[in-house]
Amino acid sequence: MRLPMTAELPAGAHYGLLAEFDTTKELYHACEKVRDAGYTRWDAHTPFPVHGLDRAMGLKRSPMPFIVLVMALLGGAGGFGLQYWVHSVEYPLTISGKPHFTWPAFVPITFELAVLFGALGAVFGMFALNQLPMHWHPLFFSERFERATNDLFFISIESWDPKFDPVATRRFLEGLGARQVELVQSS
Amino acid sequence: MSHQAPRTLTAESVMLPEGHRLRRLPMLGAAATIVGIGLLTVFGAAHPAKVYAAWLVAFLFFLSLALGALYFVLIHYAVQAGWSVVLRRLGENLASTLPVFALLFVPVLLGMGDLFPWARPEAAGDHLMQWKAPFLNRNFFLLRAAIYLVVWSALALGYARASRAQDATGDVGISKRLRRFAGPAILILAITQTFAAIDWVMSLSPRWYSTVFGVYFFAGCYVSWFALLALLATALRRGPLKDVITVEHLHDVGRLVFAFVCFWAYIAFSQYFLIWYGNLPEETFWYHLRLQGRWQALSAFLAVGHFVIPFFFLMGRTVKRRGPWLTIGAIWVLTVHFLDITWLVLPSIGQGYFSSAILAGAVLAVGGIVTMVFGRRLAGRPLVPIRDPRLAESLALDNA
Amino acid sequence: MGGSTGPEVDEVLTDTSQAVLENPADRRPELILSSPSFGAITDAVAEPLERKTPLGWWLCFLPALGLLGLLGIAVSWLFWEGIGIWGLNVPVGWAWDITNFVFWVGIGHAGTLISAILFLLRQRWRTSINRAAEAMTIFAVMCALIFPGIHVGRVWVAYWMFPLPNQMGTWPNFRSPLLWDVFAVSVYGTVSALFWFVGLVPDLATMRDRTKSKIAKLAYGILALGWRGSNRHWQHYEAAYLLLAALATPLVLSVHSIVSMDFAVSQLPGWHTTIFPPYFVAGAIFSGFAMVVTLMVICRSAFRLEKIITLRHFDYMAKVILLTGCMVGYAYSLEFFTAWYSGNPYEIFTFTNRALGPYAWAYWTMVSCNVLSPQIFWFARARTNIKVLFGVSILVNIGMWFERFVIIVTSLHRGFLPSSWGYFRPTIWDVSCLLGSFGLFFTMFCLFVRFVPMVATAEVKGVLPQANPHHEPQARAAAGAH
Repeated sequence: MRLPMTAELPAGAHYGLLAEFDTTKELYHACEKVRDAGYTRWDAHTPFPVHGLDRAMGLKRSPMPFIVLVMALLGGAGGFGLQYWVHSVEYPLTISGKPHFTWPAFVPITFELAVLFGALGAVFGMFALNQLPMHWHPLFFSERFERATNDLFFISIESWDPKFDPVATRRFLEGLGARQVELVQSS
Repeated sequence: MSHQAPRTLTAESVMLPEGHRLRRLPMLGAAATIVGIGLLTVFGAAHPAKVYAAWLVAFLFFLSLALGALYFVLIHYAVQAGWSVVLRRLGENLASTLPVFALLFVPVLLGMGDLFPWARPEAAGDHLMQWKAPFLNRNFFLLRAAIYLVVWSALALGYARASRAQDATGDVGISKRLRRFAGPAILILAITQTFAAIDWVMSLSPRWYSTVFGVYFFAGCYVSWFALLALLATALRRGPLKDVITVEHLHDVGRLVFAFVCFWAYIAFSQYFLIWYGNLPEETFWYHLRLQGRWQALSAFLAVGHFVIPFFFLMGRTVKRRGPWLTIGAIWVLTVHFLDITWLVLPSIGQGYFSSAILAGAVLAVGGIVTMVFGRRLAGRPLVPIRDPRLAESLALDNA
Repeated sequence: MGGSTGPEVDEVLTDTSQAVLENPADRRPELILSSPSFGAITDAVAEPLERKTPLGWWLCFLPALGLLGLLGIAVSWLFWEGIGIWGLNVPVGWAWDITNFVFWVGIGHAGTLISAILFLLRQRWRTSINRAAEAMTIFAVMCALIFPGIHVGRVWVAYWMFPLPNQMGTWPNFRSPLLWDVFAVSVYGTVSALFWFVGLVPDLATMRDRTKSKIAKLAYGILALGWRGSNRHWQHYEAAYLLLAALATPLVLSVHSIVSMDFAVSQLPGWHTTIFPPYFVAGAIFSGFAMVVTLMVICRSAFRLEKIITLRHFDYMAKVILLTGCMVGYAYSLEFFTAWYSGNPYEIFTFTNRALGPYAWAYWTMVSCNVLSPQIFWFARARTNIKVLFGVSILVNIGMWFERFVIIVTSLHRGFLPSSWGYFRPTIWDVSCLLGSFGLFFTMFCLFVRFVPMVATAEVKGVLPQANPHHEPQARAAAGAH
């Protein structure tokens, strides 16, 4: 299920609640509970990827491997095709006495182009899936959130989540061991 | 998952239980040996040269597995690997069969004249053979073979014994000593294995040479060992090692099979490609032999079967984590490795040296003996080094 | 009792030399010393970027910039006058130009190995050095690409190397190793830069969020692409990182193999030998790690990062240098043996000429630097002694430059036709191009350490014990347990 981007949602007074945690352990268990409570429009924010957090959040597997495989195959096929066309069809030359179609000699460039396209798929596919660059986001309104890229861990629950309630959700998050819960404005 | 108190295992819990299918290995091995020798006698009595050729193929195939196992054990110690502790004993057990190869080498010695052109009397009149005679002569060949087998046996038994001793004492000093010696040991193994490949395979075509040949043989050793390890690990998961060898270990072994399939392909292609491109007749004839007649189909099959198929098959995460799928992949890799050894050996010896019955006989005979020794070792000691200092780390492996 | 204390060890190692020499087979040593907090790591790495530029930096940067200027002059003069300003002659048509190319490409490989291969092997110690190593790769590839570009002669038609449709209807020769080089090294540079940048994004976000300067905030902010540490993002990020590592690994093997094929696909004795691809790759890793050691020795003390780039890291790097040095030695021996074994008089002559001919001085420099000097790393004390590490790393780099020189020039200068035999002597312009390339490298590296977080802070934090949500701080293992 693809979550609509924040910008596509109807304007609301607030973006949602931001809960702050001290350790990865607390965050991990908190995420499990948020997942089990049935929230869908939420996220965790950490300065580094935390082992096992994907499972704790109930995320589906990333489609990156397929993207990369397809791109790599395209690149390799394209590279081989280009060389075949040039050397066997378009401008055949007899080089060092060998036949026009010499597949061993086509291998290096085929391989390199497969890797190149695979890598481009990985990088730009990843940015596309992450909807980056997105230079601005409501969470940047929070000053505490600056520490998400340093040494603290956060859970954010968006106000557009069907289960969101400013009071109940706040109490729920405080019950999970959050050091601090902040209501973040949306604009 | 990984945060209980560190687990320890008792010797009893990791011995191969009486009813386990792998307990039948010695018996199966004995039966295979008998059948194999029977086949060789029946079909090969009239063609001793074919017997020697087939024996060499079988010998090299099983030797490559044992050498791969020895490399695995040494590298495990040298890099202080943690994930593979639960699997190391299997490598030690197979490497411990290396002394038996001294016995198995005898038919190769008997067949030297049939197998190696430089060992024949005609070589005395050949200028190039005479040039190589200081190296390629019967006595030096024999001496080198003795050195290889003694060195390999010493390394394999030394490491297996020390590891077994650690089961009783838990002495960390043993691990430290084995680690310290592993570096030089790998060097010694690499050099002896390189020259064994040169002696026993490359010199079958004494006019030919390739500097990467030792590396090529190593690649085959290592990829086939990991395939075998995958089979053994899967088999042992149905039994005493159910919670000891986990899906994570299978996944890692599968990854290693994949990686070394790629490495093999890289080396094999490099060797072929450079010789093809340079187009020098003194080098290309070796490949010509393998691209003619009946060998052409095998060459084409190897290119696809030893690389393309296992590459795509073992790429996915799921295949490497499911026992049955990984088993299929492992059996495939072992089969193509066997075909690779056949392809290396038989075309050099000449046309008309191939007989499937004799080859089957040789494989059964050699494989039977190796299996007997391996099966006895497997059953006779704990399947896992129970007092290894890094055991807990290995048990807690998590690949998520 | 011989059990270990569990998968994670919370152990404070205060004395680094003692910790490394202690050689624990029984526990995983703490990689980062004195158990810093996440914030302390950020502070340690960001601090050099936030203070005023120290004098030491200027003392490195300005001479490097000077050498870069020298490169500019040398290359301009080369374009104006032509390849003749170098010492190239018949028969030695390739000398310093291609030696420098292979040298720099080789150095780049260590960065990818540290980033990609060690990542696949789950070696957590890589996180302290991988950022700097990857940067080193990119700069090394930049230096490398200069040489094939400038050595073609008619630089103004260098675009002919690319498969662009043109009015002449001609195409490059895809079957030539020289063209495979173009593709291989370009792809390598591109993928390395992408890999480096992807790894950098979270750290740029860290810098964005802590910097006080408005200009810096804008610069870091734009480049950080709005990264906010979202775990949904991390999930795809981690997948992409793993895939890039999985792609970069065969890439690095293929690139130097393809470079080796420049020589190996020929028919020249000393060049045409099947072991070149893996041998060149091993040599590249060898020289690359030596360069990483050289750079890290300087940087860790200049930036006071001794607790993050520890002696343990050097211990591991020294072991890699030892391993690859042995592989290089193996290849030398095997080439020699096979030259004799082949009975081919041209092969035999080439190798005896290398050891005993007019270039024997280069050959023995190569052997002593590459095979002999790393042997000291069998000893743990040597692996953790900064002076020894620095010294050996410099020797190895010198030796590996000579290895490429020996391979290229000795095979060319005495080929099949004795009447064409010659000798190559470098000119001032050969030397200027080499020194100038070092200028480019160190200029870029100085800029890197000044403006970009030198350590992959997010990754380092990720390998601290407390980053693991299942981490149980263990009671200090009683020293008497063993």
